[in-house]
Amino acid sequence: MTVKTKPGGPSALARSEERTALWLLIPSFLIIAIVAAYPLARVVMSSFTNERFAAGAEIRGEFVGLQNYRQLLSMMVLEVPQRLDADGQPVVENGQPVYENARLFLRRLDTELRYDAVRTYDAFGTRYVLAATSADFIRAVWDTLAFTVASVALETILGMIIALTLATKFIGRGIMRAAMLVPWAIITVVSARIWEWMLQSTRAGFFNTFLTDIGLLDAPVAFFQTASLQVPAMVMIDVWKTTPFMALLLMAGLATIPTELYEAAEVDGAGPVRRFFSITLPLLTPTLAVALIFRTLDALRVFDLFQVVYGEARYSMASYAYYQLIASRNVGMSSAASVIIFVMIFVFAILYIRALGVERDGD
Amino acid sequence: MGTRRNNLLKVLGQVGFWALIIVIFIYLIFPFYWATISALKTQSELIQTPATYWPQEPTLRNFRAVFQNPGFLRGLGNSIVVAGSVTLLSLVVGSFAGFALGKLRFRGRTPSLYVILAMTMFPQIAVLAGLYAVIRVLGMPALPSLVLSYMIFTLPFTVWVLTAFFKGLPVSLLQSAQVDGASTFQTFWKILLPLTAPALVTTGLLAFIQAWNEYLFALTFTTISPAARTVPVAMALFAGEIAREEPFGEIMAGAIVVTVPLIVLVMVFQNRIVAGLTAGAVKG
Repeated sequence: MTVKTKPGGPSALARSEERTALWLLIPSFLIIAIVAAYPLARVVMSSFTNERFAAGAEIRGEFVGLQNYRQLLSMMVLEVPQRLDADGQPVVENGQPVYENARLFLRRLDTELRYDAVRTYDAFGTRYVLAATSADFIRAVWDTLAFTVASVALETILGMIIALTLATKFIGRGIMRAAMLVPWAIITVVSARIWEWMLQSTRAGFFNTFLTDIGLLDAPVAFFQTASLQVPAMVMIDVWKTTPFMALLLMAGLATIPTELYEAAEVDGAGPVRRFFSITLPLLTPTLAVALIFRTLDALRVFDLFQVVYGEARYSMASYAYYQLIASRNVGMSSAASVIIFVMIFVFAILYIRALGVERDGD
Repeated sequence: MGTRRNNLLKVLGQVGFWALIIVIFIYLIFPFYWATISALKTQSELIQTPATYWPQEPTLRNFRAVFQNPGFLRGLGNSIVVAGSVTLLSLVVGSFAGFALGKLRFRGRTPSLYVILAMTMFPQIAVLAGLYAVIRVLGMPALPSLVLSYMIFTLPFTVWVLTAFFKGLPVSLLQSAQVDGASTFQTFWKILLPLTAPALVTTGLLAFIQAWNEYLFALTFTTISPAARTVPVAMALFAGEIAREEPFGEIMAGAIVVTVPLIVLVMVFQNRIVAGLTAGAVKG
């Protein structure tokens, strides 16, 4: 049995609605195809080639299989031999064994790909070296992960403190909330340059002047030139810039918690700490989850800070891929690095969503 | 005795609370303060050690230099054009999609929403090389290509917020207009769109700020055409009259010039911005 619908009936209306919907979605999908889908597909394709470009002309690459990925990700851990004296005996200085230079040792090895030292570790009386074919990339991955963990953790803690403080009603709350938007509104590049100036290696910089004045430093510290301080300096800048965002999200989450719950808990004699852990934190979890995902994914793709302050002196994953493309003009390698970043971010997102159960909050 | 002790605790609590507020305030504002006083210092005071906490002989020389710097001025112009166009384009395209996804019934609605949302996850760096190739093939000039490529981060957000907003509008509006013989598109354009004005302002502001802030694409796509550099690129590659030293006084003056308008904008629309930032993050 067929139901005939008259023209102008509900079905015709539904069909016209469907047609309108498709027309309205065309611009969005066209844009997505041009700026996201096709470029991503192309990046994946060229990550398997040795494509380069030079002087404006593109050189179509040949298929090289997993060569770029091997070049980026090959790693091994080796024991560094001790230095031997003329008689073939290990050299000992002050009771400590003397090791060969790890880099020179690796250079002597007869491997297909050339390995470079990422870093060395001393354990159980032997020295090990972590060697990689792209030491710079492995270091960039490590630095970016360390940066992400440190900055997201600090932002969450500070953001929570700020959100809880500002949740109380007090005179000047409006001003505080406005002040919170200042770091957020500043261009990341500009904030990098302001902090670059505040962290100058001489006492012309604020931190060196201030820390000497209050007696915490004896001599100026070269924050950006000292290897162990390079990543912490980035964390410091990022935390300043993004904590307000975290705090704003958490404040919005706090506002949705009914005050009666706190009142009831107070009547039951629960102290502030107890109230925080049994009411605030559990009820804030969905908001916290979303905020953590946003911030983690953002931190993993950090580019502006590292590129502006360090250039090629120290890479984040994204700035490594950028320099492979722009400075080395190595499209294949840059694409492979980009794919690795993409996969890492994807994995992180899935893990987070699984662990925090955000999907239940989706619509 | 006990009450006096309680009172003392209360006072101490208050003092601690206000101390915390002040510390937070200083933390948030201080870099901006330091940039401002540095911009007002003379060249010799800038390189003097130890640094001074207040300009000894305030001067506007750095600001004058910035406004005479052709690269910086061009950057400002480019950024206004790019961020303005991005805002307009994402609002038009985004409200089309938001209306379709939020109010119309059609097959493939949920998958469409997911495809658009999936773009939020795209790290810009992952498409950089491919996008660069597309732009070279199309032979697109730098500024339009920036506008187009910024849609990758403004569009998903705009569509997401506007879809939610359209969904919240009563269906009866759509139905009564249809009964009156208006086409679906007319209903959207003439009746529903004006009602979404608050959401349009919010998403527009956020799109503008994101575009104003963007650096990776801007840096890459203007490598061969320095005339198209936007503010972040101009600030990163800032060169003063003397090439040897980094002209931090002028850089700080530039930082103030590009930040103050944005801060004013943010202050005026702060409620909307906070609402926009927290949309989607909080179910309320």
